[in-house]
Amino acid sequence: MDQFIQQFATGLSTGSLYAIIALALVLIYRSTGIVNFAQGEMAMFMTFVAWSIWNSNSNFWLAFFIALVIAGAFGALTEMTIIRPVEIGPVLNPVIVTVGLFTVLQSAALRVWQGEPKFFPTPSVFKGAPLKLGPAAISRTNVGVFCMAIVIMLLIYFFFNYTKLGLAMRATAQNRTAGRLVGIRTGRMLATGWALSTMVGAVAGILLAPVLFLSPSMMDGVLLFAFAAAVLGGLDSSAGAIVGGLTIGVVQNMAGTYIPNGSSIDITVAFVVIIAVLLVRPHGIFGRKVVQRV
Amino acid sequence: MVRTILRPKLLFVVLALALLVVFPYLYRVPGMPFLSSFRNFQATRFAIWLIVLMGLNLLTGYSGQISLGHAAFVAVGAYFAAILMKESGAPVFLAVLGAALLTGLLGFLIGVPALRLSGPYLAIATLALIIVLPQILKHPSIDQWTGGVNGIRVSFPQVPASLANNLKMNSDQWLYYNCMAAAVIMTAMAWSLTRSRFGRAFVALRDSEIGAEQMGINVSLYKMTAFGISSLYAGAGGALYVYQAAYLGPTSFDIIFSLTLLVMIVIGGLASITGTIFAALILTFRVDITNFVVNHIPYGSRVGIDPLRGAVFGVLLIISVIFTPRGISGNIEKLKHANIGGKFAGLHKRSDRLSQQKDAEASSD
Repeated sequence: MDQFIQQFATGLSTGSLYAIIALALVLIYRSTGIVNFAQGEMAMFMTFVAWSIWNSNSNFWLAFFIALVIAGAFGALTEMTIIRPVEIGPVLNPVIVTVGLFTVLQSAALRVWQGEPKFFPTPSVFKGAPLKLGPAAISRTNVGVFCMAIVIMLLIYFFFNYTKLGLAMRATAQNRTAGRLVGIRTGRMLATGWALSTMVGAVAGILLAPVLFLSPSMMDGVLLFAFAAAVLGGLDSSAGAIVGGLTIGVVQNMAGTYIPNGSSIDITVAFVVIIAVLLVRPHGIFGRKVVQRV
Repeated sequence: MVRTILRPKLLFVVLALALLVVFPYLYRVPGMPFLSSFRNFQATRFAIWLIVLMGLNLLTGYSGQISLGHAAFVAVGAYFAAILMKESGAPVFLAVLGAALLTGLLGFLIGVPALRLSGPYLAIATLALIIVLPQILKHPSIDQWTGGVNGIRVSFPQVPASLANNLKMNSDQWLYYNCMAAAVIMTAMAWSLTRSRFGRAFVALRDSEIGAEQMGINVSLYKMTAFGISSLYAGAGGALYVYQAAYLGPTSFDIIFSLTLLVMIVIGGLASITGTIFAALILTFRVDITNFVVNHIPYGSRVGIDPLRGAVFGVLLIISVIFTPRGISGNIEKLKHANIGGKFAGLHKRSDRLSQQKDAEASSD
């Protein structure tokens, strides 16, 4: 039983890593309707930016906030320069552009910061002995990631449901023409969506860097699970991203522990569970079915 | 008869086929030594990628079902073929055919869960195939056939004695003819398929699933068929791949490759046979293209452009999608219309506007 609780807690820790990147994916999907393959690489790149700033003056919070500002600007600029030209056109084109961006960022990061992993500072709040939860021990960083994921989820929820800007962004994502007709500056809304999701990505990257080690390939093992998490929870639901991420983390850990030879089949089990859930709920656990007028 | 042959499009196809037939011996022509055996290798790869991409374009371009896991079917086909060649000693032709049919059947069955999913959900579900495949291939319960992490080695192709003696054909040229023949046949099949009842049904269910259903099209059956045919192509391509490479491992086809396949058909042109040919050319020569660009960027070496090859490739992708949103074949169509000019010019402008409007509506959904 103790082992079960410990594995469950480890699963939750892994899952919250997936959840926090999944939140960025949900944010960009809700505000622009695009699935962004470059999300993980953007997060990695912004984390390197934060690392460079921290390296030059060793003030964690200064680096954190400057990186956030740069992330916002970078996201908005990306939308305006390379996403906007392909928006009117075949639906797959923006996806292809994000795949291109993925390659560019990964290669550029490798060129600028080289391949070997870098030390990234943990903010002092997360330092200290692991927290004891009954028989399970969880590192403070993992608890921090988990809490931040919840905070970001709540922020996204309130932003989209209770602010005028959030409403305008939802309208833009849903129907651009109608949005423009009621006076929404849809271009700005899309740029804002990219800016916000890049910022969430940057926060995620900075939180994950001490756990995953900062390197150009740090997101390789996370991004696909983040996608799976976002899809499992429902791409338009921020609560879904958390539930999806935690579920995948726990299932993966449990399969690795309790199935004989489990570590050689854990990813498969996780994805079988995801597909099984999608067959029952094709738009994810919390996703809403899009009803189309013919 | 003469008139039919002189139709420009048909003439072009005939000339292209003639070129494909003599290609492996062209290097002997004076002034063509650049067609080395490496180019022959690349031409063979082109034939293989053409088959693979043709299948994906039938599924994604014509039927509108996005698949990020096409490489998984390529890998499965390659494994089927390798196992058939190795375990049963089946002749290559039968091994490739068997692998293609088995992969096609598997794809048809995987089409069943795909029926309920669409858009990004289908994308991730298909991506799952290529994510989990290495784990399955390495699993102890089947590694006596798949060879686990070590993969499978198959014997190099043997040129039939008569061809080796009379035409001095070496094994690379023999491979080329095998793969290119398969590619030409399967391209012709795809061409006629898209003009048949099946092709029309695929396009109908891509453009409006509900509309297609109202027209009496069995949506489920056609979707599964699209998955089946596309996997059959992938399986055939994978089988030929292992025949050429003579080695196959659990990571021979990875996620990046799977995404690249989709990127290529978008850049070449969705729902277009010509577009797929361009896609296969770019996939084959992507390294050469990137190198060419890298070597021609002014002051490139001074800023250390060399390690940035990946970035250059990514920039090329982005530029090409921005400037040819309908792919290379779409751009060719546009040029053709522009040349007509005169009395049809207005007409085309109108149809252009209409299609742009349609796109705007489609993307805002």
